Amino acid sequence: MVNTLPQVAALLPVFLLAFTGLALLLVDTITPDARSNTSMAVVGALGSLAALAASVWLVVSGTGSADTGGAITLFAEAIKVDTMALFFTAIFASVTALVVVAAHDYFHDHESPAAFYSLVVFAATGMALLAAANSLAVLFVALEMVSLPSYVLVAYLKRNRGSVEAGMKYFLVGALSSAIFLFGISLVYAATGSLLLSDVAEGIGSLDGLAGVAGLGIVMIVGGVAFKTASVPFHFWAPEAYEGAPAPVSAFLSSASKAAGFVIAFRLFTEAFPVGASLAAGIDWVLAFGILAAVTMTLGNFAAAVQEEVKRMLAYSSIGHAGYVLIGVAALSQDGGANGAVMGAAMAHLLVYGFMNTGAFLFVAMAERWGVGRTFEDYAGLARRAPVASTAMAVFMFSLAGLPPFAGFFSKYFLFMGAIDNGFLWLAAFGAVNSVVSLYYYSRVVKALFIDDPASSSSLDAIDVRPTGLYAAVVFAAVATVLLLPGFGPVIETAEAAASALF
Amino acid sequence: MIDVFSYVPAIVLLPFFSFLIALGVGKYLPKGGAFGGIAATAGSFLLSLWVLATVAGGEAANRTLYTWASAGGIGPTDVELSFGILVDPLSALMLVIVTLVSLLVHVFSLGYMNDEGETGLPRYYAGLGLFSASMLGFVVADNLLMAFMFFELVGLCSYLLIGFHFREPGPPSAAKKAFLVTRFGDYFFLIGVVAVIATFGTAQFAGTESFPALAEAALAGEGSVAWTPGGLELQTWLTVVGLLVLGGVVGKSAQFPLHTWLPDAMEGPTPVSALIHAATMVAAGVYLVARMYGFYALTPTTLAVIAFIGGFTALFAATMGVVKDELKQVLAYSTISQYGYMMLALGAGGYVAAVFHLTTHAFFKALLFLGAGAVIIAMHHNEDMWDMGGLKSKMPVTYYTFLAGSLALAGIFPFAGFWSKDEILYEALVHGLNDPLLLGGYLMGLLAVPVTAFYTFRMVFLTFHGEPRTETARDPESVRWNVKGPLTVLGVLAVVTGFINMVPVQKVLGLEGIDLLHLWLDNEWGGIEGLSSHHYGDIGPYSSGYLVGGEVGTVLVGAAVSLGLALTGLLVAWRLYNVPSPTEHTAKLGGIKDVLYNNYYLDELQVWLAYRTEDVAGGANTFDQGIIDGVVNGVSSVSLFGGSRVRRLQSGVVSQYATLLTLGLVALLLALGVTGGWFL
Repeated sequence: MVNTLPQVAALLPVFLLAFTGLALLLVDTITPDARSNTSMAVVGALGSLAALAASVWLVVSGTGSADTGGAITLFAEAIKVDTMALFFTAIFASVTALVVVAAHDYFHDHESPAAFYSLVVFAATGMALLAAANSLAVLFVALEMVSLPSYVLVAYLKRNRGSVEAGMKYFLVGALSSAIFLFGISLVYAATGSLLLSDVAEGIGSLDGLAGVAGLGIVMIVGGVAFKTASVPFHFWAPEAYEGAPAPVSAFLSSASKAAGFVIAFRLFTEAFPVGASLAAGIDWVLAFGILAAVTMTLGNFAAAVQEEVKRMLAYSSIGHAGYVLIGVAALSQDGGANGAVMGAAMAHLLVYGFMNTGAFLFVAMAERWGVGRTFEDYAGLARRAPVASTAMAVFMFSLAGLPPFAGFFSKYFLFMGAIDNGFLWLAAFGAVNSVVSLYYYSRVVKALFIDDPASSSSLDAIDVRPTGLYAAVVFAAVATVLLLPGFGPVIETAEAAASALF
Repeated sequence: MIDVFSYVPAIVLLPFFSFLIALGVGKYLPKGGAFGGIAATAGSFLLSLWVLATVAGGEAANRTLYTWASAGGIGPTDVELSFGILVDPLSALMLVIVTLVSLLVHVFSLGYMNDEGETGLPRYYAGLGLFSASMLGFVVADNLLMAFMFFELVGLCSYLLIGFHFREPGPPSAAKKAFLVTRFGDYFFLIGVVAVIATFGTAQFAGTESFPALAEAALAGEGSVAWTPGGLELQTWLTVVGLLVLGGVVGKSAQFPLHTWLPDAMEGPTPVSALIHAATMVAAGVYLVARMYGFYALTPTTLAVIAFIGGFTALFAATMGVVKDELKQVLAYSTISQYGYMMLALGAGGYVAAVFHLTTHAFFKALLFLGAGAVIIAMHHNEDMWDMGGLKSKMPVTYYTFLAGSLALAGIFPFAGFWSKDEILYEALVHGLNDPLLLGGYLMGLLAVPVTAFYTFRMVFLTFHGEPRTETARDPESVRWNVKGPLTVLGVLAVVTGFINMVPVQKVLGLEGIDLLHLWLDNEWGGIEGLSSHHYGDIGPYSSGYLVGGEVGTVLVGAAVSLGLALTGLLVAWRLYNVPSPTEHTAKLGGIKDVLYNNYYLDELQVWLAYRTEDVAGGANTFDQGIIDGVVNGVSSVSLFGGSRVRRLQSGVVSQYATLLTLGLVALLLALGVTGGWFL
């Protein structure tokens, strides 16, 4: 049935997200008062769920996969829809849906929540487009489509000094990074003479003394990727943006936006700068990613271990996870038998991470909604008043730490196995050591929730509301984290197939 | 055609469901969930009978149901870990025994637990259900790892049930002892399981790719194993593996020196004792050896060790049974002793004899325990035999069934125990004539015969004969159908089970086809290739030797000697204790009495050993605290220190961020540029 549709139908999820964003603007225009919160949330959730359904349907029906004639290219090859694009669109759409549902409660007393929904959905549109970009120009435009709404979202609590400051810093670091990224693109263009990824790849194969130019450009592009994925040394914005931003925004940025950064990396460093040609030209970006991965996971996890505030801990843990996922690019090798396996595992980890990390931030959003404090001590004994949500949080924490029997264990296991199979034992060893460190600070949260006694008997009285939307989102994310364990087979197979198609 | 083997998992799951029901909603059900357990075990029993009939019809099954882990490229071989079922004549027979005893124990519990007004019944019936389910899962297991898992579950259930009366001081301590002592053996078993998987890449019991088959092929030089440690000779290594697995067997089947938990386990409710001794826990060890007999038969040293441990335990435990005052204590030592016989049989190459004794013993020992339970009900939970006497006329059903069980235990013709014990001794004798170690086992087994008969009938006479020695014994509480019913069923079985395998009669009279169990286990009616007693005989190390008169003569002499010794023991007991007011004769034993009363001071020895290990553990503790923990703490403080440095990097000043970011990028550029030669 899919085959009978015009090719442009492959962009259905992107269109759905774009229309949802426009529809949100329309709703806001018709009823421009604060009460539109509910209708906006409903429209946003329905739209993102429809995009999710569309992308899952397209993946299942084999759109763009090798079995049905390969990737679909559109608009003079500027757009390329393949399984990886759709896989990531599914991640973006599910995180968007969770965030939108949770935001309904978070912004219940905000004076103008409307713009929030449209900004989130527009950012998600940009991400979906990013996943399908096949030209450096489209890539950059889509990246800005993601970044600009993100800056505004971080600063969305206009009267909150932390939020505004975080937005400002995010914007400044972002502007610098964008400049570096764009400069990198122009250098690559100068060296290869094209913006289309496949032509760039050909150009890399015949550089004729321009290897230095191309190399500079590629490392700068690595820098752009590092900014979006919050990897060292472009990570400085992340702890402050995540901490200052409204918690649903932190969830969105640390899950969806990070995945968007990785889709750039996966796309560019397989199709535009293939391993073999780059190494032949003396551009060892594999080493660059290896260094970034090792430094990022170490810094993220070690810094997370000494935080006092849960949200900031999660911010650093999210940096640490960026380090793990970077293994998916850093453990590639020329003719490596496990190239597809390790990159597929990184994609699967991003999917699992999308649920467990979003869920964790949404739990923080719930704590903010309740008005309990931000530190570990403030979370003491929460399980007595909110057992369901606390159990969900425990699931997220253990899954993030990579403990069986949660989905995070499997994705990490496959990732490290893939790295070992490809001969990168040292990266897997780094990952394993860091996972041990991470268990320390993740279990601190669980200990606070379940074992510690609250500071005073009245300190839990703040929990007097049951925010339905937040609860639903948190519980759904927890259920997904658990169900991804039995359902991990199809996920990893799809991801590995999508990754293998890139090589 | 209905495939009965697809219902085999139901045999295991039915009692498991009864466990769930009793646990979940037991307190809302009549009788605390007893009927659920009875229905479940009855269902399992009927299914098992069906399976038995199907196996008799020539079918068998060796199926993998669920592979829960598979790994390629790790370690020496590709390994698959799975759950499956192995239904052959041996496991079909065992299924029927376990489900039947379990069913009868459930029914008996109505009388012993419910009618006595015990509390916590749902917990009790949940435990019984899980116990039965674990044992059944163990019986049908098709590989060693699955067997180990259910073996452990059996151990857990024994802990839960022995400690059922957890508010009294004795039971929790006994439960812990049972758990720890069997765990000590299981530790070796676990290493054995890993060794088997590492050596062969599989833990399957049956089939051409099973570990006994691979071991056989490798020893014959027709194949090789995946791994042996450090160039060890294959035969030696297989012996080591066999002994490791044997550790679990010695623990569970209460063989010397790990038998000490079993007498203490009498603290559990009496029906539980019946279940533990007859059908589940203790039987598990012997069954395991029988299950992987194709492996043990390949290693003569292990067989000799098994035989010697068995023979020694048979005699050793029997002597301790002689001086006990409490009804259940006598039975406890008799169980240890009888399982010693089974081990002797297995070690002596008497695979069929061991299974035969396992079968008959299951019935008569269940009978004796349930009979003891009936007496205990009657005596208001006083177990001291010196307070009983004269119960014969007050409780005739109990008396006559108990008598049948005792005659079977003592090995008196023609009760069940006679046939099976005689065959064990016969096998040990004919194989032992060429093997001194085995002959030693035989002699100890033979010496245990009169001792067994003596303590058994001392127990019978003290309990049922003579004059009532207390007020309670003069007016015992009556028992109901739910006690008498199981006793009657088991009483009949204790009389007739021996007739399934009348080898002496066959050999003397030359009648073919009356050694049914031999034919059954020899795949006469079908079974699985490589799991027949004939095959085991072929690969085993033993040859037969005969006394005067060849085979027939040896059979007759052996049977006559053991029967004569049994009757001697019985007559001594008769002389000493079948009098109106018997007195203790233990003083005549002199110094030996104290030794026997104190179980050869073995408990003390184990406690002493435990303290010595504490010294070793103290050293390990110092090492752990000082060096290991020091390293761990050091690592964590270094991490936290590093973390706080990183934290300081996050100053909050954007311009610094921009600087660091740019410097970082430049460093990366330089590193790659220099290695890649961009600037040349």
